[in-house]
Amino acid sequence: MNLEDIIKETKTYYCLECGKCTSLCPVSRHNSNFSPRLMLERALMGFGDELIHDRELFSCLACYACSDLCPSDVDYPVFTQKVRNLASGQGEHGDCAHSGTLLSLMRLMSRPDIKQRRLDWLDGCHTSEKSEVLYFAGCAPYFQPIFEDIEVSPVSIARNSIKILNALGIEPMVLPNERCCGHDLLWTGDVETFKKLAQFNAQMIKESGAKKIVFSCPEGYRTFKIDYPRYVELDCELMHITELLAQNLSTLSLKAKRSNLEVKRVTYQDPCRLGRHLGIYEPPREIIKAIPGIKLTEMEHSGAESICCGTSAWTNCGSYSKQIREERLLEARATGAEVLVTACPKCQIHFKCAMVDKGAEKGTDIEMKVMDIVTLIADALGGKSSE
Amino acid sequence: MEEIKTGVYICHCGLNIAGTVNVEEVARYAGTLPNVVVARDYRYMCSDPGQALIKDDIKNLGLNRVVVASCSPRMHEPTFRRACQDAGLNPYLFEHANIREHCSWVHDDRQIATEKAKDLVRAAVRRVFYNEPLEIKERPLNPNVLVVGGGIAGIQAALDIANGEHRVYLVEKEAAIGGHMAQLDRTFPTLDCSECILTPKMTEVGQHPFITLLAYSEIEEVAGSVGNFKVRVRKKARYVDEEKCTGCGVCEEKCPWKVDSEYEMGLGKRGVIYVPFAQAIPHVATIDKEHCVYFLKGKCRACEKFCDAKAIDFEQQDEIIELEVGSIILTTGYGLFDAGRIPQYGYGRYDNVLTGLEFERMTCAGGPTGGKVLLKDGRQPESVAIIHCVGSRDENYHEYCSRVCCMYALKYAHLIKELTKAEVYQMYIDMRCFGEGFEEFYRRVCDEGVNFIRGKVAKVTDVALTEGEQGKLIAIVEDTLLGGIVRVPVDMVILCPALEARSDAENVAKLFTINRRADGFFMEKHVKLDPVATATDGVFIAGCCEGPKDIPDTVAQASAAAAKALSVISRGRIVIEPTIAQVNEALCQACGRCEEICDFHAPKVISKDGLRVSSVDAALCKGCGACAVVCPTGAMSIRHSTREQINSMVEALLEV
Amino acid sequence: MAEFEPKIIAFCCNWCTYAAADIAGTSRIHYPANVRIVRVMCSGMVDPIYVLKAFEMGADGVLVAGCHEIDCHYLNGPLKCDAMFEKLKRVVNMLGLEDERLRREMISTSESPIFAQVIEEMVEQLKKLGPSPLRERVKV
Repeated sequence: MNLEDIIKETKTYYCLECGKCTSLCPVSRHNSNFSPRLMLERALMGFGDELIHDRELFSCLACYACSDLCPSDVDYPVFTQKVRNLASGQGEHGDCAHSGTLLSLMRLMSRPDIKQRRLDWLDGCHTSEKSEVLYFAGCAPYFQPIFEDIEVSPVSIARNSIKILNALGIEPMVLPNERCCGHDLLWTGDVETFKKLAQFNAQMIKESGAKKIVFSCPEGYRTFKIDYPRYVELDCELMHITELLAQNLSTLSLKAKRSNLEVKRVTYQDPCRLGRHLGIYEPPREIIKAIPGIKLTEMEHSGAESICCGTSAWTNCGSYSKQIREERLLEARATGAEVLVTACPKCQIHFKCAMVDKGAEKGTDIEMKVMDIVTLIADALGGKSSE
Repeated sequence: MEEIKTGVYICHCGLNIAGTVNVEEVARYAGTLPNVVVARDYRYMCSDPGQALIKDDIKNLGLNRVVVASCSPRMHEPTFRRACQDAGLNPYLFEHANIREHCSWVHDDRQIATEKAKDLVRAAVRRVFYNEPLEIKERPLNPNVLVVGGGIAGIQAALDIANGEHRVYLVEKEAAIGGHMAQLDRTFPTLDCSECILTPKMTEVGQHPFITLLAYSEIEEVAGSVGNFKVRVRKKARYVDEEKCTGCGVCEEKCPWKVDSEYEMGLGKRGVIYVPFAQAIPHVATIDKEHCVYFLKGKCRACEKFCDAKAIDFEQQDEIIELEVGSIILTTGYGLFDAGRIPQYGYGRYDNVLTGLEFERMTCAGGPTGGKVLLKDGRQPESVAIIHCVGSRDENYHEYCSRVCCMYALKYAHLIKELTKAEVYQMYIDMRCFGEGFEEFYRRVCDEGVNFIRGKVAKVTDVALTEGEQGKLIAIVEDTLLGGIVRVPVDMVILCPALEARSDAENVAKLFTINRRADGFFMEKHVKLDPVATATDGVFIAGCCEGPKDIPDTVAQASAAAAKALSVISRGRIVIEPTIAQVNEALCQACGRCEEICDFHAPKVISKDGLRVSSVDAALCKGCGACAVVCPTGAMSIRHSTREQINSMVEALLEV
Repeated sequence: MAEFEPKIIAFCCNWCTYAAADIAGTSRIHYPANVRIVRVMCSGMVDPIYVLKAFEMGADGVLVAGCHEIDCHYLNGPLKCDAMFEKLKRVVNMLGLEDERLRREMISTSESPIFAQVIEEMVEQLKKLGPSPLRERVKV
C-alpha cells in the first residue's frame, strides 16, 4: 500500500482544511510542531516523503477528539495508523519511551514457541478451567514489575476484576498463554506483528470455547472489537467490565467504603478507547453513582469532551505529554475530588508518572490519588481487595 | 544527509591474528558491507605504515568513518583515534573491533574464529555508521582554593597551597584556628609539646600573604562545580573590631561573668568576652552573644569601658562574603564520643572520671590546673586507671577502632608517672602501636612500671566492698591473661572515648554534596587508591573528618589533599570529556530520576525559559550511563554510547 | 545434522569484565566461540532493551557482566545494574524464558579464568536447553 491508496481508503480527500481538528487536538495545544490538518495536507499535496520522515507523525494520540467533531468525518487516527505502517517500513518509528522495552515485549509475545508463566497473579482468585466467560488480562502481568515503583499495580486491577466477576457469580477462564492484544504495535505501524498476535489470541480463544470476553483494559477491548475483525474471526461477545457491572447492578451489594480507602469525592476520566472510540460513557458513571457515600463531580471536560491522558503506544512521550497530563490533572483537582477514577490501566500509569518528581527542587504539586474503577468497586463489595 | 564512506582495516598482528583468523577473507567480507568503500588487511596496523594506510585513505578517498579490527581497543583505540585526528577526521568517528584478545587468542578452529571475526567487524561497521563527531571542550576555572576547618589538617593544607602561591580561603567555625590539636598537651611518641609545634604553623597562616583567614565564620551555601564553585560564607559578628583589638586580654579579665571554657573542656572558665587560648590566631577577643548580659538584658558593657583600643562594637553585624574558588578541601575534624552514653563508667556521675581530652588540659602547663594532675578535691591521685575503647570496637556504639587511643593512653601513663607517684593501670583489649616509634614507646612505658591489665572494664563503681576500696573508684575487669575478675580501686579514671564524626557532619556533607560512610565519616572516593578525593569532583577531604587518625597521618593527608586541589587548578582549565550524558529537552519531563540516581550530582532539574528540564553539568558527568537507563522517555542519552549505537551492534551481531 | 550452537551476547563493562576477557586472551585461555561481546562503559549502562533486542534477534543466551560492587569505576554501577536486572528477570521469566538464558555475573579484571568458565557453562547449559523459545522460528 502506498500513500495514494491510504488517502483513497480513508477518504481524507474530503478534508476541508477548516482547522477544527487542530483547535481540538490536545497535542497541538502544547506542541506547535504538530497539527492534524497540516499532516493531512502534506499527504494530500504530495509531500508524502516529508510526512513519513517527520517525527511528529508519531505524536498523534489517536484520541479521536478531532474526528469526533470533524465536519467532513475524516478519520485522522486511522489515516495516521496506516501512514505509520508505511513509515515503519522505512525504518521510522518515532521516539519510543522506556527505550522501546514495552514494544519489544509485545513483539516477543508474538513468537510462536513461547510458553509464558503469566498467571502467578491469580493466586487466591476464583477462576475456572472451563467457562463461557473469559477474562482477558493482556499486558497487565508484564506492566507490573515495570510500573510498581510509581505505585501502579496493573495486576491488582486484574485481581479486582476477577473478584468483581466472582461477586457476579462468574468464575471466568484466564488463558495461560494469551498474548498482548497488539494495540500498541498496530498504532505504531507494525501491522505484521499485530496480525500474528491477533491470530494467536483468536486461535487460543476459539479452542477455549469461550463465548464472552470481559476486559478491564479499554485498549484491549477496542482492539478486539474494531481491529481484530479485519484480520481474524472471533465469534465472542465482548464487554468492558463496567458494561457487565452496569447490567447487573441490582444483584450487587455495594456498601459505603470499608477497608482503608476512605474515598468520598471522586471524579472520572473517560478513557479515549472506551469513550470516543467505543461510545461507552454511562456505565462507569452508573456504577460510581451506585456506591453509597461517594459523590461524583465531573471535570470541566468530560464525556465526549474528555481530554486524553497524554501518551499513546509509549511513543513520542515528551515534555508536551507531561503538559497535557498536568492540564488534565489540574482539571481533576479543581473538582475538589480526592480521587481521580480511571477505567484504563494506561491512563493510570500516565497520570501517576506525571506525579513523579525526584528532583531536589519540586515542580508543580499535582499529586492526587488515582484509582482504577474496578478497585473502587472491589473495595465497595467488601472483603479483601488488592490495592 | 551526508554519504557515509567507511574504511575497514583488518590487522594480521603478525601471526597473532592471522595465524588463526583468515584476515584476507575477513577483509573481503568487510568490503561487501554497506557503506564500506575500502577494506584492507595489513601486517601491523598500529605501526607507522599501518597508520599511514588509514590517513592516506581518509585524504584520498574522503573517508568519514574508520574501523580497525585488531587487538583490544583498550590497547590501541587511542592510537587509531589520533591517526584519524591527524588526517583531519574526528577521532570519535572511529570504531575498533577486538579480533585478537577476544577471538584469535581464545579460539583455535580457523573457520569458527574467522566467522566470529566477520561478525565483530560487521558489528563495528554498523555501529560506526551511527557515531557522531565529538569535541573535547574546555572551561576556564578559578584558581583559588577553599579550606574548610582550621585544625592542623586545614592549616597544613592551606600552607601547602599558599606556598604554591595560590590564594587560599581558610574558613573556621570557632573564634580561632588550631582545632583539637591546640588542646593537646604533649604528642606521642616524641612527647613534643603540641602548642609548640602548632603555634609556628598557626602564626604562618595568620601572616601568609596568600592565605585569607576567615575565623568565626560558617559556610552557608555552595553552588557550582569543580573549577567554578561559588561559596557563601557568613562571618559572624564578634562585636569586637578585629583591626583595632590588640588581644591584650583586659576585657576578659574585667568581664564580671564567667562561663565554662570549651577549650578547657569544662575544667576551667572563660569570660563571656574572651580570647579562646593564649596562642589563639587570630589573637582577638570575641563576645559570646548567648551569655552576654548586655545582649540578654541590656546591662553591663564593662569590656567597652576598659578597652584602651576602643575595639568593642556592640553594633557589629554578621558579614556575608561571597567566594569563588576552583577546588575545596574539607578538614572539619572529629567529634568526641559522649562517654556518658556508657553509664557503667560513671562519666558525669563521679567526680574523678575524665575523658582523654580533659586529661590533656590537666597535664598542660598552661591549663586549668597549671599542669598538675589533681583530683576534684585538689589532692594528687595515688592511683589512676586508664580505660581503652570507650565507645570504640563496640557493636553497641562504634564498630571501628579509633586508632589514636592506645598511644595516648600510653602517653598518659607515662605523664602520670612523670608528674605524680601514682600507680597506673592500663585496661586494654589490644595494644595498637603501629606507627613510627610507637612500639618503642610502648616498651618504654612498660619499663616505667605501668600495670597492664588485658580486659575491657565492665563497670566503674564507688561502692566499696573492702576497707581498701573506701573512697575509691573501683574498676571491675576480667584480667583475661591471668583469668579472673579483678577489682582495681583507683582515685582517678581516664576514659579513651571514640573519635566520631562531628554532629554537623550530615549538614556539611549536604552542603558540599558528598557522601558519608556507614560509620558517619565522610566517604573517600576509593579506600585504597583515592583516599582524599570524594565522588564530587573538586571536593577533597583530609584528616579526622575522613576517619580517626593521629597527627602524622592527618598532616600527610592534608598535604595529599593540597596536592590534589592544586592539580585541579594548576592546569588553568577544566577539561570536559565529550562522552557524557546529554538531554533531549523536547523529550524531558523533569521527573528528576536522573538527578536521583547520579552519584556525581551531574544532572539537575532546573527552570529554563519557563519550563522545567534536566540539565547535565558537563564537568561532573562521568558518562556511566545510569541516568539514561532510568530516564522514562529516552530524553537522556550518553554520547558515544547511545541506545541506537549499542542496539545497532546487537542487531548486527545476530542478524546472520 | 549440525549440532545446535547457541548464540550468546555478553554485555561487558569496560573496566572489569571486558578487561578480564582481554586478559583471558593474553593468557591464551580458550573458551567456546559462541559468545559475542558488546562493550559498555559500566554494567549500570545496560538498558533492558539491549537484552530484549538480543532475544528478539535470536540470541539463545545473554550475559550481563561487570565489576564487583567495591570495584566500580563509577562507584555504584553494579547496584544500579542489579536493580534493573531484577525487574528484567521477572519480565523474561513471564515470557517463559529459562533461568539459565539470562545471567548476571560480577567478574573483575583479575578473574579471567572465571570469565572463560562462565562462557563454558552457559554454552553447555544452552546446548541442553536448545534454541531460545523467543526466536522467530524454533523448529527448523
